[in-house]
Amino acid sequence: MTRPTRALQATGEGRLELESIIAALSAHWVVAASSRQRVRRTRLDTFDRRLRAAGLTVEHEVLASGERLLLSHLDGSPTAAAPVRDLRWPALADVLPAGPIRDRIAPLTDIRALMVVSDERRRVQRLALQNKDGKTVARVELDEPAAAFVVSASASAAPTAPSQLIVQPLRGYDEQARRAERLLVGLGLRVVDADQERTPGSTGPSLPMDREEPARVLLATALSTFSASMRENVPGLLEDVDTEFLHDFRVAVRRTRATLKLGRPALPAAMQRTWEPGFKWLGDLTTPVRDLDVYELDLPRMSGWLVSADPADLQSFATHLRSRRMVERRKLVRSLRSVRFRRLVTEWDDELARLADTSVALDPPETSGTSDIPDVPAGAGDPGRGYLPAGRLADRSISRAYRRVARGGAGIGADSPAEDLHGLRKRCKELRYALEVFAPLIDHTARRRAVADLKGLQDVLGRFQDSEVQRLGLRDFAEEMMAEGTSAGAMLAMGELIGHLETEQDRARREFDVAFARFTRPSSLKLMHHLGGAA
Amino acid sequence: MKVLATYNIKGGVGKTSTAVNLAYLAAREGCRTLLWDLDPQAAATYLFRVRARVKGGGHALVTRRRPIEAALKATDFDNLDLLPADFSYRNMDLDLDDTKKRTRRLGQLLDSLSDDYDVVFLDCPPSISLVSENVMHAADTLLVPLIPATLSLRTFEQLTRFVADSDGHRPEVVAFFSMADRRKRLHREVIEAIPRDGTRVATTVIPALAIIEQMAERRAPVPAFAPNSRAAHCYEELWSEVRPH
Repeated sequence: MTRPTRALQATGEGRLELESIIAALSAHWVVAASSRQRVRRTRLDTFDRRLRAAGLTVEHEVLASGERLLLSHLDGSPTAAAPVRDLRWPALADVLPAGPIRDRIAPLTDIRALMVVSDERRRVQRLALQNKDGKTVARVELDEPAAAFVVSASASAAPTAPSQLIVQPLRGYDEQARRAERLLVGLGLRVVDADQERTPGSTGPSLPMDREEPARVLLATALSTFSASMRENVPGLLEDVDTEFLHDFRVAVRRTRATLKLGRPALPAAMQRTWEPGFKWLGDLTTPVRDLDVYELDLPRMSGWLVSADPADLQSFATHLRSRRMVERRKLVRSLRSVRFRRLVTEWDDELARLADTSVALDPPETSGTSDIPDVPAGAGDPGRGYLPAGRLADRSISRAYRRVARGGAGIGADSPAEDLHGLRKRCKELRYALEVFAPLIDHTARRRAVADLKGLQDVLGRFQDSEVQRLGLRDFAEEMMAEGTSAGAMLAMGELIGHLETEQDRARREFDVAFARFTRPSSLKLMHHLGGAA
Repeated sequence: MKVLATYNIKGGVGKTSTAVNLAYLAAREGCRTLLWDLDPQAAATYLFRVRARVKGGGHALVTRRRPIEAALKATDFDNLDLLPADFSYRNMDLDLDDTKKRTRRLGQLLDSLSDDYDVVFLDCPPSISLVSENVMHAADTLLVPLIPATLSLRTFEQLTRFVADSDGHRPEVVAFFSMADRRKRLHREVIEAIPRDGTRVATTVIPALAIIEQMAERRAPVPAFAPNSRAAHCYEELWSEVRPH
């Protein structure tokens, strides 16, 4: 494998003096220097950095002579380059010209758009180090910032690079690049580490926490993470860059609501009263657009279900979805640009800062007996400790959530209405959130196994409920479309989809008993004991 | 990964210039491209300014004593790598004869590169040999340059029979006229008369142009040093006809 690209910079206050560098290199190679050029380099990735996770980078490079897309490994070694024209970002990968770059990255980016991670104007001068045959055996590039112009698309992007020399090895000539690098280091330059960019929305693995730490600290940390995720996703959501911004925003809202509920025994009662309605508002606000997105994203798969109808018969359904989405999105965007939303975000962050500060006393939690954790008398204990150690809250929350799943599932029989299974799905989500929120306090391996066990049950319940919701939704759409005079072919196609979903729902219902038995098997129960639950 | 081989039993018909120019064009449009110079004369290797040397020679490659990746060299052009020729390739038939699957070894070697390249060009020596049989099995397309002369057609008929008679995988054979001089009546007549039933003949004709001969002086593909020349445009048209889809 070719040696990676290496960047070198001047040490201390030194500058890169190109003439002396060329002079030194010329002792060993013929140095062919290009003229200095301005280049605009736009690095692209999805919001959740899928390309980086796959060890790749994509750059859109614009020079006076033209534009190209460069696909490289993270170490800088190039993979492919292709000429392009008039590309604008953000955009899905299908705008890329057909070829190996699109073939490589489209499966990775999928429904996420390529966005600008960083956008820099640089001045570059390329040196080709040539042997006696005139063959280029290594490349050295002087890369300087062009001006103060730098746009970092996110706070997580690396700051603009100072002037640097980039040694680009060529396949089969690694030793030449190594020699060039050694020479440059001998001139006083130093090799620079690659940038360490943070992936938006990622916080790394959760660090273990002492079980005696105040529950408020753990809750504040979790809630702050979700708040950051919400904020990070808003710009992409407002610009409608891709569907996942709304999805991830809603996940953060759901987790916030679940954590507020789990934290009731430890959080001030006023916190519930003030904030739970606000986040419910956000959840309800975003549901219509997300539901429509799911239908649109699922359309290709649904077309595959049709036996009698032609996929083309679903065209009017697709059109109907798009026009409904436009209407719902306008309402959503208005609300997210509203004073109410801005205040919610700002004041919520202030609230979390107070929650995290253990020197600030908290008001007592709700003592209406809704929790099975014994009430702590007012004034007892250390107010800064939030009335409960985190470990105790974790044990009781996981235990309670597990019992509710076990009881709920055991009560489901052959004649149970669909609502019972929907209710059980909610209980499973609460258990899942408890396992996530309290992750810093519980055994990592055991937690992973518990989540895997729960996932099987959640999958079946999810398919059951989603089939029903989609089926009912399709009926509503069909009625709307009929009122608008849509064709018989479209109605028949919708009918086929509804029929398929009914079959899917029945299948999920048949699988439920096995999935629930697996979840409540003795080894799973033992696992829950170990995690502090099922007490 | 698609494999195209420039092949003709006759020498001096334009195999190397075709392989070099088409490989360059494939790379220019973004395909990760490899050109394997199988001819011990090493003309393609020379054009790319690479030394005609493979450590361990053809024997080490064919017997896998050295990995094929270790022999690859980047050219001066983005997306385009070269597997150089070596004088020891003159004995490649003997090396192949000693291996298992003697007619498929080169294809097996190329298979190991399928994740790294989209297109491979094979610049073949002018012969019918075990190397040729390996090329038949490895290639998806045989590009056969023909000088418009009566004897060329005879040679072409021999080739098409050879391909038709071979076992197993058979590449698509695409003939095209090379070094054509439309001022010569014979050239015009042969181009008109070549049978097109059952054999694909490209409509693009590569003319005999001095600028193509300059490749040896410039040591670069024509579209690189003369992008607006008639020769460059002809190769671009040929590439658009024969490129894999």
